[in-house]
Amino acid sequence: MKIRKLYYLTTLTILLHACIKDAPINPEADIETFTIEKKYLTADIFIDQANKKIMLNLTPAAFKSGVTPVITTSAGASVSPGSGDSLHLDSSRVSEYVVTAANGNKKIYTVEFGGMGIWKWDFETWLLQDKDKYQYVEEHGSSSFWSSGNPGIALSGVKKDPMEYPLRASSDAYHGKSSAELVTRTGTALSALLGIKLFAGSLFVGVFDSRNAMTAPLTATQFGEPYSGKPLRFVGYYKYQPGEHYQDKAGNIIAGMKDSCSVYAVLFKGTTRLDATNIHTSDRILATASIPDGGPRTTWTRFDIPFKTVQPYTGTEKMMMAIVASSSKDGDTYKGAIGSRLVLDSLEIVK
Amino acid sequence: MMNIKITGMMLGMLTAATALFAQDNGHAQTNTHGFKRILEHRILAGFNFGGTAPVGLPNTIRKIETYRPEFSPSLGYELSYRKTKKWGVAVAVKLDYKGMFTKDEVQYFPTIITTSDGGRFEGDFTGKNETTVRNACVSFPISLVYTPGDRWRFNLGGYVAWLFSSNFHGNVSDGYIRNGGSLGEKVNITEATFDFGTEVRSFDAGVQGGAAYRVGRKLSVDGNLNWGLRPIFPDDFKGMDFPLYNIYMTLGVTYKI
Repeated sequence: MKIRKLYYLTTLTILLHACIKDAPINPEADIETFTIEKKYLTADIFIDQANKKIMLNLTPAAFKSGVTPVITTSAGASVSPGSGDSLHLDSSRVSEYVVTAANGNKKIYTVEFGGMGIWKWDFETWLLQDKDKYQYVEEHGSSSFWSSGNPGIALSGVKKDPMEYPLRASSDAYHGKSSAELVTRTGTALSALLGIKLFAGSLFVGVFDSRNAMTAPLTATQFGEPYSGKPLRFVGYYKYQPGEHYQDKAGNIIAGMKDSCSVYAVLFKGTTRLDATNIHTSDRILATASIPDGGPRTTWTRFDIPFKTVQPYTGTEKMMMAIVASSSKDGDTYKGAIGSRLVLDSLEIVK
Repeated sequence: MMNIKITGMMLGMLTAATALFAQDNGHAQTNTHGFKRILEHRILAGFNFGGTAPVGLPNTIRKIETYRPEFSPSLGYELSYRKTKKWGVAVAVKLDYKGMFTKDEVQYFPTIITTSDGGRFEGDFTGKNETTVRNACVSFPISLVYTPGDRWRFNLGGYVAWLFSSNFHGNVSDGYIRNGGSLGEKVNITEATFDFGTEVRSFDAGVQGGAAYRVGRKLSVDGNLNWGLRPIFPDDFKGMDFPLYNIYMTLGVTYKI
């Protein structure tokens, strides 16, 4: 039947247009892994893909002798200096790795060294992230010691404006010109698709791993930086004003419920960071210090909390210290009150 | 540009049709074959098969795993006027559902998602995608009709259509998106949904043409291709970086009343 032929002809015409084309040339230029023998490290290597940084925490001996990292990149990409080239560390020099994608795209990673230096911060210097326009803290020359949930919130389609992010600088300071301000905010239209109706303000010592921000957000916040010795006290100043209406994960207001903040420090052994799933429960925890109640404080309030030992330790093993603060204590399960505001300044771990 | 073309085309069709009608008035007696000019009425019923698709697949689409038409009925009424034995014009009003489901794999697929709260997310997605499209519209095809003999009837023309219900939704899974573009950080996605239904344009226009073959006294089988020339999303929509068009074939029957 001719009608059939006509149909075939039409289908054929569409299909001719619809041929699958050759694959695009790989435009990706990631350093996917950067490996150094674990004995040279005081913390697992973290590649901050959002800010193109490789964060190295080396033992003093390794720092002196140099290391030979093994590097893998996106398929078809090349890296310079190459994998297996030794990295001689001169603290005055910034080390860079240039990755060239198969299609010619270039991405430059900077190597940043963590120091086990000064555990005292005043939140005076804030930088603005280029692409997503959120603020982050620089302390003692390092901008990768403190992190927050901001890089994750950047993925949820918030307006690119520092004040849209729940962690930012504030001029309401106890000491100096600025402090860290954490404000719980509403989710976005996009985050609501994932069932997230609220973002708590967070600030923590550690790194943010964007890879899992959507699939397993509680593991995206990687807590801890290398620490040595025995901490005595966790000291600082804060203000807290809970928001008016406490809401559950679904966004329903729960009458009579008040939001509260959390500020705590956790010392744990090993070189692998803890995350929001195990920061309270890991069997690696050695000592903790936490503000006793997260209730309202209208004026600057000093806290001075002695570390409570959870299990005996010498202080010479490889250890990490995490400090975690949130404007809504249950923010990790997306519960809290919109507008809850925690301001922190002049924090210190006293040895 | 496209709009001007479409308007031009529609205008052309209309002119041709009116010309036929007008000629009829002026030269009522010139018909030499003794053919009696007649108005014909037909009921059109069928199903739409096809796709809301790019013309030429972009290279970011790597594999089409599944394609199937959605339940897409088409029902309408056509009024035609035969000026001569062989030539005539037709206008119709149709209720058309146009829908499909596809499952595909994409690589470095650029997308920009803007949301009602003023948010915006831009990135390149690599992974699996499932899309369901089901749009309902009232369409008005207008055709030149050629009837060479007893059995066959061909038509060619254009159409305009107004959308009254739209669905364009789906999910992405088993992949990752790179924040800001191919050099941005990788964010794994196990599953995320999208719904662009409210973004679909309410007006479509295109070309259409086909053939009918008479199988009974009043009944014919009919095949008609409707090719939209207006991208279904407005220019400022960046969920996909290529335009999609409604390209559907109506297969069905016509019944002369």
